[in-house]
Amino acid sequence: MTDRYVELHARSAFSFLEGASLPEELAAVCAARGDGAMALVDVDNLCGAPRFYLAAKKLKLTAHLGAEITAEDGCRYPLLVANRKGYQNLCRLITSMKLRAPKGKAKASMEELRQYSEGLICLTGDEEGPLARAFRTGATKECIERLLDIYGKGNVYAELQRHYSRDEEARNQAVMDVAASFHLPLLATNGVRHAYAGERELLDVLTCVRNKKTIAEAGRLLTSNAERHFKDAREMARLFADIPQAIANTVELSSRLQFTLADLGYRFPPYPAPPGETMNSYLRKQTEAGAQRRYQPYHEKARQQIERELALIEKLDLAGYFLIVWDVVEFCRREGILVQGRGSAANSAVCYALGITAVDPVNMDLLFERFLSEQRGEWPDIDLDLPSGAQRERVIQYLYRRYGERGAAMTANVITYRGRSAARDVGKALGFEADDLARLSSVVPHWGWRDPSGTAEAAFRDAGFAIEHPRIAKFLELFQAIQDLPRHLGQHSGGMVIFQGRLDEIAPLEPATMPGRVVIQWDKEDCADLGLIKVDLLGLGMLAVLEDSIQIIRDVYGEDIDLAHLPQDDPDVYDALQRADTIGMFQVESRAQMSCLPRLKPKRFYDLVVQVAIIRPGPIVGNMVHPYLKRRNGLEEPRCLHPWLEPVLSRTLGVPLFQEQLLRMAMIAAGFSGGEAEELRRAFGFKRSEARMREVEVKLRRGMDAKGITGATQDAIVQAITSFALYGFPESHAASFALLAYASAYLKTHYLAAFTAALLNNQPMGFYRPATIVQDAQRHGLRVLPVDVTKSEWKCIVTKDLALRLGLNYVRGLRKSTADALLLARAQRPFANIQDMVRRVPQMNKEELRNLAEIGALNFIDEARSSHRRDALWQSEAAIRPVGPLLESAQPGAALAPLVPMTVEERVAADFRGTGLTVGRHPMALRRRELIRSGVLSAAELKRGRDGQWARIAGCVICRQRPSTAKGFVFLSLEDETGISNVIVTPDLFDANKLTLVSAPYLLIEGVLQNQQGVVSVRACRVAPLILKQPAIPSKDFS
Amino acid sequence: MYACIHAPDGSEQKGADLIDVAKSFSPLIEIVDRNTIVLPIDALRRYIGPPHQIASEIARRAAERKITGNIGIAHTIETAILAARNLSGVTIIPKGAESKYIGEFRIETLPIDAETYSVLDRWGIRTLADFSALPDDEVAERLGPAAIRLQQYSRGIADRPLKPAPLGAEYEERFELEHEVSLIEPLLFILGRLLNALCDRLRSRSLATTELHLRFDLANRSAHDRTLQFPFATRDSKMMLKLLQLDLEAHPPAGAVVAVMVSLTPVKSRVLQNGLYTPLAPEPEKLELTLAKIRSLAGEENVGSPQLLNTHRPGAWKMRSGAMVAPAAASVPCSRGGGQRIGFRYFSPPARARVELDNGVPRRVFAKRISGDVIQAAGPWRTSGDWWTNESWDRDDWDVALSDGGIYRLVVERRMDAWFVEGAYD
Repeated sequence: MTDRYVELHARSAFSFLEGASLPEELAAVCAARGDGAMALVDVDNLCGAPRFYLAAKKLKLTAHLGAEITAEDGCRYPLLVANRKGYQNLCRLITSMKLRAPKGKAKASMEELRQYSEGLICLTGDEEGPLARAFRTGATKECIERLLDIYGKGNVYAELQRHYSRDEEARNQAVMDVAASFHLPLLATNGVRHAYAGERELLDVLTCVRNKKTIAEAGRLLTSNAERHFKDAREMARLFADIPQAIANTVELSSRLQFTLADLGYRFPPYPAPPGETMNSYLRKQTEAGAQRRYQPYHEKARQQIERELALIEKLDLAGYFLIVWDVVEFCRREGILVQGRGSAANSAVCYALGITAVDPVNMDLLFERFLSEQRGEWPDIDLDLPSGAQRERVIQYLYRRYGERGAAMTANVITYRGRSAARDVGKALGFEADDLARLSSVVPHWGWRDPSGTAEAAFRDAGFAIEHPRIAKFLELFQAIQDLPRHLGQHSGGMVIFQGRLDEIAPLEPATMPGRVVIQWDKEDCADLGLIKVDLLGLGMLAVLEDSIQIIRDVYGEDIDLAHLPQDDPDVYDALQRADTIGMFQVESRAQMSCLPRLKPKRFYDLVVQVAIIRPGPIVGNMVHPYLKRRNGLEEPRCLHPWLEPVLSRTLGVPLFQEQLLRMAMIAAGFSGGEAEELRRAFGFKRSEARMREVEVKLRRGMDAKGITGATQDAIVQAITSFALYGFPESHAASFALLAYASAYLKTHYLAAFTAALLNNQPMGFYRPATIVQDAQRHGLRVLPVDVTKSEWKCIVTKDLALRLGLNYVRGLRKSTADALLLARAQRPFANIQDMVRRVPQMNKEELRNLAEIGALNFIDEARSSHRRDALWQSEAAIRPVGPLLESAQPGAALAPLVPMTVEERVAADFRGTGLTVGRHPMALRRRELIRSGVLSAAELKRGRDGQWARIAGCVICRQRPSTAKGFVFLSLEDETGISNVIVTPDLFDANKLTLVSAPYLLIEGVLQNQQGVVSVRACRVAPLILKQPAIPSKDFS
Repeated sequence: MYACIHAPDGSEQKGADLIDVAKSFSPLIEIVDRNTIVLPIDALRRYIGPPHQIASEIARRAAERKITGNIGIAHTIETAILAARNLSGVTIIPKGAESKYIGEFRIETLPIDAETYSVLDRWGIRTLADFSALPDDEVAERLGPAAIRLQQYSRGIADRPLKPAPLGAEYEERFELEHEVSLIEPLLFILGRLLNALCDRLRSRSLATTELHLRFDLANRSAHDRTLQFPFATRDSKMMLKLLQLDLEAHPPAGAVVAVMVSLTPVKSRVLQNGLYTPLAPEPEKLELTLAKIRSLAGEENVGSPQLLNTHRPGAWKMRSGAMVAPAAASVPCSRGGGQRIGFRYFSPPARARVELDNGVPRRVFAKRISGDVIQAAGPWRTSGDWWTNESWDRDDWDVALSDGGIYRLVVERRMDAWFVEGAYD
C-alpha cells in the first residue's frame, strides 16, 4: 500500500458558492495532514490562485494550479497546469471564453479547449465531468478519443472519486473499464469542496444561495454526505485499497506538475518608445524636459535627486512603468482633464518632473525610499486622482485603446460575506420569514462603532432572539462561518494592471458588469503579492469640482486660474481654516476636522499636510492627536517615544503621524529590514487576516526585545505602529491631498460663486448635503437664485453679477432629455407663457411640469403676468390637458388663479420636496421667535457662550456620526439659519434615546456647552424631537 | 333620503352583523365597504317616523348586535356616507345645509385618485369648502369632467342611485330547527333537502361545486363548522350527503343542533371526455366515496398516495392525501440511468439486528427470522442530511448476501450504532 497521496482536485470558496473553504484553509489542512502538495482547481477561474500559492509557500507546500472549465457541452473539464506554457494557456482559455460571453455565462468551445491545450493535463472528472456525461449519452469512446486528441496520450487521467455513494461506485467501475481499454492511468481524487468535514453545512448553505432556494426546498441539490473534505493518504489509501495505482498515480502526476506562481514570468510592463529610443533613454529625456519646466531654476539638489532616482529606475527596469503613467498624464493634459498623483509617488522627484505629482519632494524633503527602494523589494505604486465620472472613464478607455483589450485590465475586488450580507443570505437559506430576516439583518451593526465586548451571541440575544433555539443557534454558527468567504467578483474602483498585449498570459481576464471594462481575476493585494505593478486611476469628486470651478472662473470672472501657481500662504484662506469655516473644502470639512482646526490653527502649507493626516482613525486610536496639539500649542514638551526615534519623529514634535515614520520606527526600534517594514504596513492594511497582523506584531516585539526596548516603551511603540498602520497617510499622500485642500479653500474663499456652483454640480460628494452647502454659501454672502425655466441651465451657473443660479439638474424627477429639449426650445425664442412652453416641449410630462411649477421655476415665464407658484400650478394643469386643434392657438385666460398663494412655510416645504434644498429661509428661521422665547440659542449665539454654561439648542440634524474610534460616543451636527452646532452624545444617552436620535429630523438638545480654544460643542444631557412641518435636510450618517 | 351606517370595527363577523341590521330595515342596501352600508329611508318614515327616530331605531338595533359607530342621514348617498364616516354619533343633514356640515372635512375624505389628490394638495386645497369654492368650468378644464362630480360631492349635492347588494348568498341555505336535534339521521334528512335545493340551483345555471361548507348552530351557542373539499366539480347531492354523513360520523357536533346552514362554492362544471385509449378508472364520485369510507375506518392520516420526497434520505416518502393520482414522472427523481432494476422489499418496521463486524465490514447478522454469515458485502453507502432540523440523520447502508440465500440491506445509524435490516432485494 502506498503511503503517499496528493490531492489534485480541490475547489476553494473562490469557486463562488461551490466551495466552502478559503484557499488558505485548504493549504493549512494540507500542510497539517497532507503530503507536501495540493492542486487548487476552482471553477472557471484562478481567483484564489495567488492566495493559495502564498499560503502554500509559507507552509512549504507545492501549490499546483488548475481549473474546472465549463464547456459548451455542459460538462466541467478539470485541467491541471503542467508547465508555464500550460499556465499561460489556461489563462488564455479562461480569458477567451469569458470575454466573448456575458458575465456569468461563459462556456468554452471545443475549439478553444483544443487551441489552449498545450501544457495542460485533463482529468475525466466527477459526476459533472465529460466522462460521466458520456456514460449517460452512450458516447464513451468518442469522449475519450476526443480528450486524447486534444490533450495527447499520457495527459488524460481517468479520475476516480469515492464518497460512499452507490451511483458513484457504479460509475467508477465503468471508468475503470474505459481506462483499461484506452490504457488511461487511473487517478484517485476526493473532489474536495471544503477543508474539514464540518464545513459541509456551510457548503449546503452556499448551494442554497446559488440556487436561490431554502435549505428545506433544496433537496437533492445538497450534498448527500460530508465526505468531500480533505482526506489524508491513510484515508484515501483505505478507500482505494483495491486500486492502489490510483493513489500512486497522484504522486507521479504531482511530480509532473512543474509550474507554480513562482514561475509566473511577469516582467515590468514595456512602453512603446519612439524609434531610436530605449525606454530608459526616453524616460530620461522626458524627465529632463519636465524638470527644466518644473524647477526654475533647475537647481543642483533637484538634479542630483532626479539622477539618483533615474539610476535606480533603470537598474530595476521600471522605465516602462513610469512612461506608461507619464503617458496617461500627458493624455489628461491634452484633453484638459485634471490629474494629480497621490500616495507615495509624491515622494519622487521624477514623478514631479514628469508632471505626475504636484508636490515638490526636494523642497519638502520627502523620503524617496518610501516610494521606491531596492532593498525593500517593493514595487512602486502610482495612484492618479482624476475627476470622477465621465472624465475618469475617458482615461480608462484610453488605456484599453492604447494597450489592447488583453493588455490592460482593472484589478478585481472580491466581494466577501460580511455582516448584513452574511445574515441575509444565511437567513434566507435557512428559510427565515421576511420579517425575521429583516430583524436578523438589523442586529448586525452597519453604522459605526461596535461594542468591543459584544459578541454576536450577545447582539442577537439583545435583539430578542432565543439563541438557545436550535434554528437560531444554527444560524449564528453559519453566520460566523460564512464571514469573509467570497460572494462574487467585482471590480476595484480604479486599480489597473497593464502589460501590453499579453496580460492574459499572467492571469485570466473577464468582462466587468460595466460595458467596455475588462477585469483581471486578482485583487489588488494579489497583484501586489505577485509583484504586478498597477496604476490606480481614482475618481476624486474634488478634482471635478476644481476643474469645473476653473472653467466657470474663466467664463464668468474672465480670469485664468493655474492650480500649480496659486498664491501661497493666502491669509484669507488660513483665516477661514483657523476658524473651521470649511464646509465644502476638501479633506478639512468633516466635523472631526472642524473640531481640530481651531486648535491646530494652520498657518502654512505643512500645517495643512499635518491637518489632513492627523484626523485619521490611526492617529486617533493611537492617541496621537492630543499630544500633538498640546505640543504644538506649547502646553507639553515635545519628546519622542525613545531617543533612537528622535530623527524620525522630531519633525512632528515626537508624535508619529505618517506612514513613513512607522516604517522607520520599525526599522530602528525592531531592526526590521525595509522589506519587513513594508510587510508590516501591508499586514495591518491587509483587511483579510487577523492572523497575519498577530504574526507581525510578535515579530515586532521580538525585534524590540533584542534591541533592549521593553516594557511600557515597547507597548507604546507597538501601539503607535499598529494602531495607525491601517489608516495612516504617507506624508507624500497627505501633501498631495493638502494641495487639493488648499486649492479648494482658496477657490471657496475668493471665488465663492464659482466654487459653490461646481460643488453643487458634482454632488453627491463630501460631507454635506447640497442644502447645507447652499445655506453656508448664503451665510457667506452669496446670492443664490432659484430654478427658473427662463434662465436656468441644466447645471448650476454663475450669473454676470456673481450670483448662483440653481440648475434644472436640481429639479427632482426632471429628466435630462426633457431639460435638453426645454433649453433647445428656449434658445430658439423665449417662452411666451406656460402653454407656449408645453406646446414647444412635448417631451415634458405632467409630473415634470407640476414639479417645475411647484418650486417656482415657472413664476417668471410670462412677463405680462405677476405670477406665484399656485398660479403657475393652475396654468400648468390647464396647459397639460390636450385641447382640440380649434383651440390650440387660443390664448389662455389672463385672470390669476383662484388659489391662495403659498405661505413661506409652504414654499420652503415645496422647495425641499422639489429640489432637496431651499434658497429661501432656513426652516429653523421660521420658528426662531418661538425658539428664542423658550431659551434656545442659535448656532451663532452658541459660539459666543462660555465654557461650562447650560445651553439649549435646536436644529435640523444634518449629520450623525458614530465613529468606530469613539467608544460608542455619537456626534451630531445640527444646522440652523446661523450655522452648525456640534453635539456630543454619550453612549448611555444614546441608548436611552436611540429612536429619537436616529430618526428625528429636528432635535432639541440641552446640555453643557464646551467652548475650548474656539472649538464649540454641547455635551447633551437631554434630547427631544422638535416638531416642524417642513421636511428636513436628510441627514448624512457616517461611521 | 338615505341613511349610512358606518361601524369601523373591521371584523368579518361585525360586517355580517352590520348587513343583518341594515337588512332588517330594508331589503335594498348598498354595501360600500365592510364597515359602511347605505339604505334608503323614505319608505321607513311611514312605519317609524321622522329621520331622527329612524336613526334612533337603527342605533338601537345596532347596539343589540354590539355594533358601535356613526349614522349619517342626508338627501344624497355620498353626503350620508361622508357624514357617517367623519362625524361621530347621529348626524342628520337637512337639504340645503350640506356645505355647513361637510365643508370643513379634509379633502382626503373625497373618493379621489392619488393624482387628483396630489394636484389639489399642490393647489393648497385642504377642505371640501376650499374645493367647492373653485369655479366649476375651470376646475373641469384642468381636472376633467370627473371633477365636476367631485365638486358636487364636496358641496353635498351629488346624487346617484343606490347600488343594491345582491339578494342574499345564492348558494347558501339555512334552516332553523323548531326543536334541538341531537341525532344525525334527522339532520341528514334536513341536509338532504337543503343539498337538493342547492344542487338544483347549480344545475339550472350549469355550475357545480368543489367545496361544501356546513355550519350547525348548537344549543350551547357555539358553532360546528365543517368544510368538505371535492377533488372534482360535482353537483351530485346524494354523493355530497353521503360524504357529509361519513364526515359527521367521524366528527360529530359537540351538542344539540338548533340551526343548519349549508353553502356551496360554485365553480364551472366538469366537462369530461375520456380518451379512446385511456384505461377506464373508477368514477371519481365512487372513488371519493370509497376513500371517505376508508378514511373513516383507518384514520385520515393513513389514507392517500405515497409521494417520494426530494431528499437524499433513502426511501423517504410521505402520504399525500386527496385524490389517488399516480405521481408525475418528473416528481420521482431517478438516480440512475437505464440498466436493470432490482426490486426491493421494505420491512415495516425495519428489523432490529445484531451485526458482527470484521474490520468494519459486516460478517454475521442476527435478526428476527434473518440470520446468517455474510457471504458478500457492498458498502458502506453513506448519507446524512437534515442537519438543520431535529430530524437529522447520518447512516451507512450495506448490501449483504447472507448464507441463508437472501440479499438484504443493513442500515446502521452512525450516531447510535444501532443496526437494522431495512429490507430484502427480490
